[in-house]
Order: sequence, then C-alpha cells, then structure tokens
Amino acid sequence: MPKHEELLRAPVKESRILPLCLVAPALLTVLVLFVYPLCYSLVTAFVDKGGQPTLGNFYRAFEFYSVDIGFTVVIVTLSTFAVGVLAIAIGGYLTLGECAPAVALLRWVYRWPLFIPFVVAAQCMRTFLAKNGLMNNSLVSLGLLDPQSTVGFLDWRGIVITFVWKQLPFVALLVSGAMASLDRTTIEAARNLGAGRLRILVEIVVPQVRPTLMVGLILSFVTMMSVLSVPIMVSGESPTMITVDMAFRINNYGDYGAANALGFISYALTGAAAWIYLRRGIAGGGKP
Amino acid sequence: MMGRRIATVAAALAALMLGPVPAIAQKATLNVVTAGDQNMVDYVKDYLAPIFEKNNPNVTVKAVGTGPGDAGSQKIAEKLAAQKTNPSWDVDVAVVHQKMAGDMVREGLLAPYVKDVSTGKLTTSPTAKSALGQNVEGYVIPMFQSQTAIAYNPSMVQTPPKSYADLEAWVKANPKKFGHNGIKGGMSGVAFVVGWIYANAPNSDKLMAGPYDKAVADAWGPAFAKLKDFNKQVTITPGNAGTLDMLNRGEIAMGPVWVDMFYTWMADGKLPPTMRLALIGPGMPGQPMYYVIPAKAANGAAARKFVEMATSPQVQAEGIVKKFNWYPGIDAQHVKAQLDEKTWNKLFIDVSPQDLAAKAKPFPVKEYFDAILQGYEKQVMN
Repeated sequence: MPKHEELLRAPVKESRILPLCLVAPALLTVLVLFVYPLCYSLVTAFVDKGGQPTLGNFYRAFEFYSVDIGFTVVIVTLSTFAVGVLAIAIGGYLTLGECAPAVALLRWVYRWPLFIPFVVAAQCMRTFLAKNGLMNNSLVSLGLLDPQSTVGFLDWRGIVITFVWKQLPFVALLVSGAMASLDRTTIEAARNLGAGRLRILVEIVVPQVRPTLMVGLILSFVTMMSVLSVPIMVSGESPTMITVDMAFRINNYGDYGAANALGFISYALTGAAAWIYLRRGIAGGGKP
Repeated sequence: MMGRRIATVAAALAALMLGPVPAIAQKATLNVVTAGDQNMVDYVKDYLAPIFEKNNPNVTVKAVGTGPGDAGSQKIAEKLAAQKTNPSWDVDVAVVHQKMAGDMVREGLLAPYVKDVSTGKLTTSPTAKSALGQNVEGYVIPMFQSQTAIAYNPSMVQTPPKSYADLEAWVKANPKKFGHNGIKGGMSGVAFVVGWIYANAPNSDKLMAGPYDKAVADAWGPAFAKLKDFNKQVTITPGNAGTLDMLNRGEIAMGPVWVDMFYTWMADGKLPPTMRLALIGPGMPGQPMYYVIPAKAANGAAARKFVEMATSPQVQAEGIVKKFNWYPGIDAQHVKAQLDEKTWNKLFIDVSPQDLAAKAKPFPVKEYFDAILQGYEKQVMN
C-alpha cells in the first residue's frame, strides 16, 4: 500500500516546476502587456512632462472635463440599470414563460448582439437612430409617427440604447443560466400558494440569482466605461464620455498626462463600483 | 521662363519613363506610411504603387495607414522618434499633416530632400515653406490641398450665406437646420470653429502668421461666448461623415464639409447631385498633406523617386484632381495642362479660383491652434 502511494506521489513532486513553466508565458504576457502599462499609466498621471511629481494633470482633467466625467457616470449607471432590469425580464420569461414557441424564439434571438463588436453596433445605430433614419422611417411608413414629429437619438440617448442593446445579451445569458439552475421546487411552491409570475420573479427568483446578476452588471459597467467607438460614432460632442476626451487629449495635444489622469479617474469609478458591490456582498453574509 | 518650366516637366516625365536604375538593384520594399482616412491608403496602394512598381520592377511598395487626423501623423512621428538611434528607419515615405510636419522637422526626423527631386520646383505655394508657422522649406512637397466649405441643400436654402455673419442670422431663423461636428469628431468641425474665430476675433491675421502672443488668445472670450449661443441653435453631428449623412437624409440643410469628401460622396451616389457648396467669408481653413522622407529612411533613393513620381504633373492631374477631387499639391498651372476643361472646371463650379484666393485660409500657427481647441473645450463645451 505505501509502495503504491509513493508511486502515485512521485511524479507529482517532480512536476511542481512544470506547471510553473506552463503558466509562465501567460503570466509574463499579463505582466508585460497589462500590469506594466497599468502601473505606468497610473504613475504618469501624477508626473508632468519634465518628470516631476504634480497634480496638474488632475487639475486639467477636472478643469476641462468635469461635465464629461459626471456625464460618463450618469450614462454608464443608467445603462447598467437598464441592462439589469431587461436581463431579469428576459431571464424571467425564459424561466417562467408558459408559451413554449415564444420562449424558444426569445432564447434563439436574444443572444445575437453578443457576437457583434461595439464598433459595428455603433455604425448600425448611427443610421438606425437618426432623425430620418431606419427606425423613424419605418415608424412613419407604418403610420405610427408623423414625419414632422420625428426625433433623432444621436446624442446621449443613442449611447445608452447602443450600450444596452450590446450588453443586455451578456448579462441575460448569465442570469438566465443561473435562473435555469435554480431549485424549481421553490418556484412550484410559490405557484401552488397562488403567487403570480411577476411576484415569483421578484420575490423568489431574483433574490436567488442576485450574485450572478451583480457579477454580470459589474463586468458590463467596466466594459461600458472603456468603450470609445460608441460615443465617438453615435453622439456629437457636448457633453461626451471621458474615453473621447482621453483620445482627444492625446491626439491633439500629445498630452498623455491629462489623458492618464482621466484614465485614473475611470479606474477609480470602476473601483468604486466594485467596492460597493463587495461591501454589499460581505454585509449580505460574506457570499460574493 | 515658360521654356524652363516645360523643361522641368519634361525632365520629370523623363525620370518617370527611365525605368529601373542601378541604384536600387536588389528587390527592395518601399514602406509608404500615410496618415489620413482609408482613401489615402487606397490611393497609395491602388493608384501610386502599381505605377511605381511598373517603372521600378525591383521595388515593392507597401502601403500602411496610421489613421485619420493629426493622430495618424502623431503615430508616424512617434514611430520615427522611437527609432531615432537606429542606423536605418523602416519608414521610407510618409504622408503627414501640417501640425506634425513642423515638429518633425524641428526634431530632425526628416530629410531635406526637396532639392533632390525635379518636381520640387513645381510648388511655389506658401504651405510648402511654412506649416502652421514652422519653417518646413526643403523638407516637404504638398501631396494635395484640401479645403473646407459649407455644403447646402438648395431645396432648403434659397440664398446661401456669404459670410459667418449671414450664417448666424440664417441659423437664428432656422434653428437646428445647420449642423457641424464640433472639434472632437473630425477636422471639418475643427475648421468651422477656426473659421468662426477668424471671423469673430480681432487680429485674425496674427493667428495665421504668428508668433504666438497670449494676449491675443485671451481676447477670444466674446467670440467663444457667441459660439456657445450659436451652438444651442444647431445640430451637433457625429463626425465629418455624420454631417454629410445628415445632409443626405435631409435632417440638416447646411454644414461644414471637406470639398474632396463632398465630391467623392456625390460621385459614389451617397449625396444627391443637387447639393451645392459655398466658401463663406472672411474665410475657412484648408490644409495640405505633405510627402516627407525620414532622415534615415532605409531606401532613401527609391523614396525620392517615389515622391518625384507622385508629385509629377501627370499623376497630380489623374490621381489627385480627377480621381480624388483634391486640389493639386503642386502649382495648378502645371496640372491644368494635363486635364480636359470639363474635369478641371468640375473642381471649381461652386468655389471659384477667386473664392479660393480670397477665402481659403491656412490653419493658425500651432500655439494658436491649440489655444482655439482648448478655449472651445473650456468655454463652449463646459
């Protein structure tokens, strides 16, 4: 018996270096291509062109872009909220829906935007949401809208619509997966006691999938914070999101300092979002 | 005088037809790196490269794009600066905007090659000597001149404005029917804002001639305040193409555009042929793009031949004017002889040569340019 155990153990001992070697390329890639640039940009946010420590970059960032920083927070928060509500609605219908063909159709359709890059989504929305764009023209030709009263959405509303359209399937996928793996007896029990579907969704299903929902929303928040193509292509300039300002600072003035300061501010915002989520997780019993 | 010009042209043509020269005997790759939109890359790849490769079978032209706007030029400058200590650099010919060209000359990144190419004498335009106040003489040959103007839909605008003041009055009467893309979505909006400052700020000539004086820039407050009011009555469009798109869909009646883009979209059927252009006073800016050769280009000799070919009257006529609707980079009289009357006139239907002479302005010198953009960010957008 001991002999047998030794045989089993021996190769494990020897191969301890092997996993390290296997992991090394990936680790190195992460260090060189992610951790190093991250630290570099954090440091340069606090350094002026001559290499001296300064807060001037942050002063400039707030002097020029305080409106845009606020606007970015509002737009991304609003989009995240809308994504959450709609993802629950989709997941809920997939779990509790009773019309089998409708459920099958929804299941088939809702994932499509997942495979479309942001830049393509932005390009489509640009012609779709315009004042005389595809959406309004269709509504007019259906007689639902008067040609004189059409409104274009190529501003902050366009950004929110594009973000929600693009991020919704991702969160809905996570949420509906979590909902599908719930113990259905809780749902059946509630149903037996006479609860409606909406009530089952809000009071039984959503609380159980909340951790998954939150993970999906935090990831969406971070993704949307970093998108440049959508605000640049869908919306005009004032106000705009800070990614556009970062690009503008670099491209027009070669001012990496203020751009990095704006980057630092966006890390801080996503960091704050993550922190709020973690704190609530701990307060709720330590489950992330 | 005339005889000498003809001789120069003849020399340029002869140089074109001579074919491979011993200097570039092995098969070399000529890296042509261009800033600007995709059409710039297409121009090099689909038009210039085949002509050059036909005459120089030992050279393969590789066209690389670095993206639109000053950002594209900045990438080229950064790439060269990063290789500064290397014995040879992997960019042979670059096409850059005005703003970076001055910086690149100052930092010693470019070769003074104009004296080496016969077509260097065909350009007498002031932009070949000075780029936004920086001396670039001898280092650059303009590839083309582009110009901004106000495009309008005649069915919605009966009497097009002749000046910024006219435009202001029109916008008051027709709110949201004028659209521009501001300063963050492309250069046509930037040009419109610069023109606004030329029209509404005192001493606008100083902005184009330099040198920089902070007191001049500090006097722009009222001009920006007026622009902020004006912006409340206009539609902000998403980008250069966004303005043209909105014109096409009838959402706006007027907007600033690049002349070459306007004609190209029209030729492609993306804009109704009824649309017209007006170059409003006191003037709107335009800019050239420059052919430059890096100081340590790996294939310096081939690079010079390439630029010589690209700035020859034939290529300027066929490629720049006829195919891409740009104004030629070399002096117009050399190019006109190569084209039929109809093609030549097409370029000047709405914007006459007299208009161009009086109202086509350069962009301001770099410090003023930055001050205008920063002032707009701070006083108009905030």
